[in-house]
Amino acid sequence: MEKIAANMDPLFNPRSVAVIGASDNSGKLGFHVMKSLTKGGFAGKIIPVNPGTAEIMGIKVSTSISDYDGQVDLAIVVLPAKLIPGVFQECADKGVKGIVLITAGFKEIDDPAGAGLHDEIAAIANRAGIPVIGPNTFGMINFYADLNASFTPEFSRLKKGAIALVSQSGGISHLLGFMAMRMDVGFSKIIGLGNRVNVDFTQMVDYLMGDPDTKVIILYLEGIDEPRDLIETVRKYRSQKPVIAYKTGSAVVGDQASLSHTGSMAGRHEVYIGAFSQAGILNIDNTETLIDTAKAMAACPIPDGPGIAVLSGQAGPGMAACDVCEANDLMIVNFSEQTQQKINEYLPPLALRTNPVDMGPAWYDSSATGRIIRAVMDDENVNGILLLIMFASANIDVLKGISNFIMDWRQKKPFITCISAPPGIWDDEIRRLEESGAMANYPTPERAARAMVNLWGYKKL
Amino acid sequence: MKLIEKALEEGRNTLSEYESKQLLAAYQIPVTREMLVDDVKDLTKATQEIGYPLVLKGCSYEISHKTEKGLIRVDIRSDKEARAAFEEIMTNMDGSEKAVLVQEMVKGKRELVIGLTRDAQFGPCVMFGLGGIFTEILKDISFRVAPLEKRDALEMMQDIKGHKILDAVRGMEAADLDALSEILITVGRIGLENERIKEIDINPVIISGSKPVAVDALVVIS
Repeated sequence: MEKIAANMDPLFNPRSVAVIGASDNSGKLGFHVMKSLTKGGFAGKIIPVNPGTAEIMGIKVSTSISDYDGQVDLAIVVLPAKLIPGVFQECADKGVKGIVLITAGFKEIDDPAGAGLHDEIAAIANRAGIPVIGPNTFGMINFYADLNASFTPEFSRLKKGAIALVSQSGGISHLLGFMAMRMDVGFSKIIGLGNRVNVDFTQMVDYLMGDPDTKVIILYLEGIDEPRDLIETVRKYRSQKPVIAYKTGSAVVGDQASLSHTGSMAGRHEVYIGAFSQAGILNIDNTETLIDTAKAMAACPIPDGPGIAVLSGQAGPGMAACDVCEANDLMIVNFSEQTQQKINEYLPPLALRTNPVDMGPAWYDSSATGRIIRAVMDDENVNGILLLIMFASANIDVLKGISNFIMDWRQKKPFITCISAPPGIWDDEIRRLEESGAMANYPTPERAARAMVNLWGYKKL
Repeated sequence: MKLIEKALEEGRNTLSEYESKQLLAAYQIPVTREMLVDDVKDLTKATQEIGYPLVLKGCSYEISHKTEKGLIRVDIRSDKEARAAFEEIMTNMDGSEKAVLVQEMVKGKRELVIGLTRDAQFGPCVMFGLGGIFTEILKDISFRVAPLEKRDALEMMQDIKGHKILDAVRGMEAADLDALSEILITVGRIGLENERIKEIDINPVIISGSKPVAVDALVVIS
């Protein structure tokens, strides 16, 4: 097992990658894996393996992995299940460091032969100390190594970021990836665990805690074999890096035949949720909030307290944000006397000048807006700031006016925004501010507030 | 625990309410003052010792859902009422081992549930939630895996939607969270120390003043 842990690094950062079952026929997964590697810009050696073809995508093909003269760090395998034990043995003999096994047809199938094959390949991999991602997975991507070891080349369109996703579902991984592309959120790694031979959530959390590219770990799970190991592992690293989990399966009920209420209500799901909280894992119950929360954790510090300032260019979005905050244990705090005096100077008395501040009367005056934000930032009662500005033709310059000092201030406290405009107007400026780490922006005030709620929820764990 | 061994020898899969609470009391969990009686002479002794108002309940390991079977009489305030209730309950009970549990009537509007279940993967898990009739209707519950630390106990109480019921609300004192935590931690410990206990329901735990008291309990064994 120690060797498996030591080989995790070459698995994710290989210098050479073999695709066993590579193909130039777009009807085969081996074609798409080759495309992912080549289009993804992998700079190391790519070795397509196929006994029947001389060249794929302009790269010379080897007839077998043993036939290739040189070191192979990672093997991506897309051959039929019955051939896998032989392939694994060859990989072991060749000294391969890690395997991504995309092939399906192991213990997940009804035929008991599948479980037999599973045990057979597990024994080979464990003996040789080879970590295996899969079987039955789309693969994995290490964005910082430009390594797209999946059958979906488009994953390479994602930006590099600080979030690592470890998932039991290919569908959810793709969904989160596409959402992230539209939201401009970046990842460090995406790992599809599939049916797990010897790399489970526990091993991944252990590895990612030491991964310098990863700041936040998100888990999607349905149910796992050794949850106590995962709990122990996360607990061991408590508060080093946030771990956020989305577990589905809440519809599965407890033991209806149970004699006690406790027994009949203790669904696996409820027990998982309780155990995760106990370990310091933040539970999330939907994909959108999962990615929103991960984005905030990657960009913002964790707040020291529940005191929030809500600053809005228009009153309505501010009220919407306040509702979410107050229903979820955040406090719309009173400003210190000094802050309040300043705001009273900058805003005419007709506006709502206490928290939540309606900056409406100053909305086309970017210097007044800026001064208000600045006064609130330094207020010791304030642990986090929600800024909500809707575009209007008259306030088009406001974002430019505040962006410099927001960038200088750079998240001394969590700074979460809903700055919204018709497509094309503020997009570049917002992207620039997000990329510089100055703010985390969301499409709605409710989602922005929810992200703040979850930062505080993590702190409270 | 002798209680459990005895029940298992008799081929039973539950402890009666009386036995269940003896077990809890042995672990210092606060339970109602109560006596088990099966004749009128003992009834008089019990009513004098515990004092009115009282609750009388049919008690046997064979019955777990007493309300549905008409085996509970509450707010008994005199010897006459006690006698009548005792006879009615004894008549309504079938089964071999009949007895009536004479119990202090604990005052308090807030009813909670504390339970134990054994999860195939996590082992003994403690449940906390709203009790009484709300347990099944609202399913406002949370779980933690044993052993629990104090912070786990405090957090799981905050996890339920109705956690404000524990605050000082509507003229009631705030619930004693330390005492509740102690019960939650202890229930987890009971699960860890007694392999044969499969499940525990303490429902309701009534908040009397600020103090929690186990008013009804069921221990499932195997």
